[in-house]
Amino acid sequence: MNFLRGVMGGQSAGPQHTEAETIQKLCDRVASSTLLDDRRNAVRALKSLSKKYRLEVGIQAMEHLIHVLQTDRSDSEIIGYALDTLYNIISNDEEEEVEENSTRQSEDLGSQFTEIFIKQQENVTLLLSLLEEFDFHVRWPGVKLLTSLLKQLGPQVQQIILVSPMGVSRLMDLLADSREVIRNDGVLLLQALTRSNGAIQKIVAFENAFERLLDIITEEGNSDGGIVVEDCLILLQNLLKNNNSNQNFFKEGSYIQRMKPWFEVGDDNSGWSAQKVTNLHLMLQLVRVLVSPTNPPGATSSCQKAMFQCGLLQQLCTILMATGVPADILTETINTVSEVIRGCQVNQDYFAFVNAPSNPPRPAIVVLLMSMVNERQPFVLRCAVLYCFQCFLYKNQKGQGEIVSTLLPSTIDATGNSVSAGQLLCGGLFSTDSLSNWCAAVALAHALQENATQKEQLLRVQLATSIGNPPVSLLQQCTNILSQGSKIQTRVGLLMLLCTWLSNCPIAVTHFLHNSANVPFLTGQIAENLGEEEQLVQGLCALLLGISIYFNDNSLESYMKEKLKQLIEKRIGKENFIEKLGFISKHELYSRASQKPQPNFPSPEYMIFDHEFTKLVKELEGVITKAIYKSSEEDKKEEEVKKTLEQHDSIVTHYKNMIREQDLQLEELRQQVSTLKCQNEQLQTAVTQQVSQIQQHKDQYNLLKVQLGKDNQHQVSNSDGAQMNGIQPEEIGRLREEIKELKSNQELLQSQLAEKDSLIENLKSSHTSSGMNEQSSATASAQDSEQVAELKQELATLKSQLNSQSVEITKLQTEKQELLQKSEAFAKSVPVQGESETIIAAKTTDVEGRLSALLQETKELKNEIKALSEERIAIKEQLDSSNSTIAILQNEKNQLELEITDSKKEQDDLLVLLADQDQKILSLKNKLKDLGHPVEEEDELESGDQEDEDDEIEDGGKDQDHI
Amino acid sequence: MTYAYLFKYIIIGDTGVGKSCLLLQFTDKRFQPVHDLTIGVEFGARMVNIDGKQIKLQIWDTAGQESFRSITRSYYRGAAGALLVYDITRRETFNHLTSWLEDARQHSSSNMVIMLIGNKSDLESRRDVKREEGEAFAREHGLIFMETSAKTACNVEEAFINTAKEIYRKIQQGLFDVHNEANGIKIGPQQSISTPVGSSTSQRNSRDIGSNSGCC
Repeated sequence: MNFLRGVMGGQSAGPQHTEAETIQKLCDRVASSTLLDDRRNAVRALKSLSKKYRLEVGIQAMEHLIHVLQTDRSDSEIIGYALDTLYNIISNDEEEEVEENSTRQSEDLGSQFTEIFIKQQENVTLLLSLLEEFDFHVRWPGVKLLTSLLKQLGPQVQQIILVSPMGVSRLMDLLADSREVIRNDGVLLLQALTRSNGAIQKIVAFENAFERLLDIITEEGNSDGGIVVEDCLILLQNLLKNNNSNQNFFKEGSYIQRMKPWFEVGDDNSGWSAQKVTNLHLMLQLVRVLVSPTNPPGATSSCQKAMFQCGLLQQLCTILMATGVPADILTETINTVSEVIRGCQVNQDYFAFVNAPSNPPRPAIVVLLMSMVNERQPFVLRCAVLYCFQCFLYKNQKGQGEIVSTLLPSTIDATGNSVSAGQLLCGGLFSTDSLSNWCAAVALAHALQENATQKEQLLRVQLATSIGNPPVSLLQQCTNILSQGSKIQTRVGLLMLLCTWLSNCPIAVTHFLHNSANVPFLTGQIAENLGEEEQLVQGLCALLLGISIYFNDNSLESYMKEKLKQLIEKRIGKENFIEKLGFISKHELYSRASQKPQPNFPSPEYMIFDHEFTKLVKELEGVITKAIYKSSEEDKKEEEVKKTLEQHDSIVTHYKNMIREQDLQLEELRQQVSTLKCQNEQLQTAVTQQVSQIQQHKDQYNLLKVQLGKDNQHQVSNSDGAQMNGIQPEEIGRLREEIKELKSNQELLQSQLAEKDSLIENLKSSHTSSGMNEQSSATASAQDSEQVAELKQELATLKSQLNSQSVEITKLQTEKQELLQKSEAFAKSVPVQGESETIIAAKTTDVEGRLSALLQETKELKNEIKALSEERIAIKEQLDSSNSTIAILQNEKNQLELEITDSKKEQDDLLVLLADQDQKILSLKNKLKDLGHPVEEEDELESGDQEDEDDEIEDGGKDQDHI
Repeated sequence: MTYAYLFKYIIIGDTGVGKSCLLLQFTDKRFQPVHDLTIGVEFGARMVNIDGKQIKLQIWDTAGQESFRSITRSYYRGAAGALLVYDITRRETFNHLTSWLEDARQHSSSNMVIMLIGNKSDLESRRDVKREEGEAFAREHGLIFMETSAKTACNVEEAFINTAKEIYRKIQQGLFDVHNEANGIKIGPQQSISTPVGSSTSQRNSRDIGSNSGCC
């Protein structure tokens, strides 16, 4: 309250008192009046007083005003007044009219009243709900009030809005308000709302802020638009700066493409209003936000690619080369292009081919470097060009090579018509302008950054000095200028260049040490007790000397590592050397430069350190300190370790090679294995085929075996029939059966023969008796001839049978021969096939044995057949002899027959005589009868008997004819 | 790249159920085994193809921790689809679904398509919530259901795409006002809006959504 009293004391007591009373009265009316009109008038009165008597109104009326907001929502007018009053109390915006000395205090007032207001979080929520009111009188002051609350106590108010449901989303709706005032103030509100609050930034982006804001910017005419465009751009920057999620969303939403038209300002330089410059400046910054080197590398590079693809980079390069562009826009464009191409090969390559529209066209890089080494150009522009050059070379070995090559003797354009980058850099390096010296040195250092090849290439560069003198190497010239003791920036620049050049490049170190003036100069610089001004140079000299030791390959005898270290010990002292080395990183500008890659200096005096160089110092400070402190023994040990390491390395490389070879071999072997596998598979299928064949053979074999077994059972002579070959038994069996048949046939024949013999015997006996008895002999001969015919027939059939059998036998023999051959072949084929080989072989021998046994048998059978046929011949002979006997008998029979016929004739004659005599007797008897003489009956009877006998004989003769 | 539609999704659910992993698997096709707590909300995007139409999915992966609840609520309104995720190995994450769903229903537009996801289906041995329970919950509340594994990528693609199919179906049916971006749907540049025709398409879609691929 002391403070409040002080404020009050500053003003005249009289009117203050009365105003305080008035305010009190008004507050009472607001609080107690039942009439809305009354309350409304009172609030309006408070509003009018609130600007002038901010403190009083604030202290006394705040509570009542909030109450009005809560209770009188139905009346937009009173709400509007209340909000306006609160805005006047809290806002500092309109304080400029009041006296200067009270400004500071009123700022405190604003934040104190804000604190009071937001103490009740519901008040903010209430305000948010009032913003949903469409009425202009409510919404507009509401927006303004909330904006000032956010401006006063941003983080607290942000937090309250964040946790109130849909708080942020509701505020986003303001951008869609058709009334421009509210929309524009909505943008300002969102600016305050999104300031350094990532969560709110994301929600706002989620609520389509990018789309809306880009639409507004387009509607307003891009950079030609007014302050609204500026406000939108600031809001966009708030949303994107250091917010990776939103940047990603921006890129994914294809909003980068929508930035391109912003920069289509190239040719019609009709005018550059201050607003346009501001807008364009912000637009460029927005591009830079997306590709800032501090962003995650992946995010930056994807944005860089998108910018090239949509033609944004190309558009920026047009501005870069256009004429009449205001210097600060040009500077910012250069910075923007720098960051769009930084570390992105495609964009860097594109930039290398950008030409200025001059005649003849010159590369943009050359034009830019001309500005860099031109004293008359603005300092910030020169810095921007340096940055652009650095970004062009960052992680761009190709670009580095191209730049360095313009310095090499072979490629320098002899005609001198066109200026090369190299020439400009050399010119800058040795000009009288210390800033040019510094910039050129740093630029050249960037051409060598992390590029050992270019460090060695640059050693080849020779410079022609005055006429008559021999050319000097670039390295030599640098040290010469260094020793001449020029301005600090020149020396710092050259020392940084030399440090970059020599680090990680023993050849450059050797070149450097080769000039015998260099080491004494450096030790002199370090050892001298100079003022604070020179401390940095001393530090850099120490660094350079340290680098000459650390990267020394001991190729120069006079400046071996050890000798240089002794020199330090003797001339400077180790402690002193390290202390001097430490001056670099302790420099106040060092940490500043180490933060950002962009060379950004408030004024030329601050131009001391380069960002990349600070990285080098960080890297080397420690190792050099170690190297200096190390004793020679340790050094030797380290050397040894190094050597062993190298050995190890070589061993490792050896092994690596071996492994590589083995790898190759492995690969080959793998291939072989696979082919072998293939073959194996093929073979296996062949084997399975063959196995199945074998199985078939086996089956066949078994079948035959079984058949053979059956045959053996039939064979009585051969009892061990089980061991028979399967192929022949059938045949043999058949043969046997046939033989058997033949035998039975033969038996039959023999029995028949015997029968016939007996018959013949009978016949013979009957023949002998036939002489006495004609009739019986005739019957016997007839029987005989009958039998002979029968025998003949049988003989013929037997003969034919014999013939067919012999044919069969020969056929069977040939068959058997074939089978034998087959079985032999089979036995031969069996051994090839796998495991069953031996078994099969054994079996085959077995089979062969059995075969031979069978052969034996067949032989025996043949013999039998032979014997049988012999027998048969014997039987034939018998038959023949019997036949001949038969023939003899026939002859005898014929004779007998003849005799029989003779006797028959005699008999007939006798019979005729008898008949004549009978006739005579009969006629005589009849004469006797006629004569009446009786005749004897007995005679008649006797003659009848005689006739019967005759009949019988005739029958027998007939029978004989039949035979 | 041009697209026919742009859908906004949010992924919600308890902390540690694998929301960020699902998003990472969907956008980058990789799995991050180390749990890195999401602060607030993270953004991811991918293009998918539905019925021959290119559809851009913009996905906001929200923090599951209670302290971020008020922030994440701000994302419901503008989303067309939500993936509500629980962890099948932790029952409490399933038990909290009701409160998540209430929150979502309260703050989102009524047409928001919600896909219920039982994540970590690769950890079958540690399962604590039966698949049937998830199905029953989804049926009861009118959600689409799937079990996924952000680790093996099983059903992850399907979860995002089926949600998009359902949204697309609703657009075809005219349930979504595609001109109001607050619904989380935007028509792509130079796209003429096809009149909502073809009930056959929608039928097919609903069938597609109904049939979960059976790898989980």
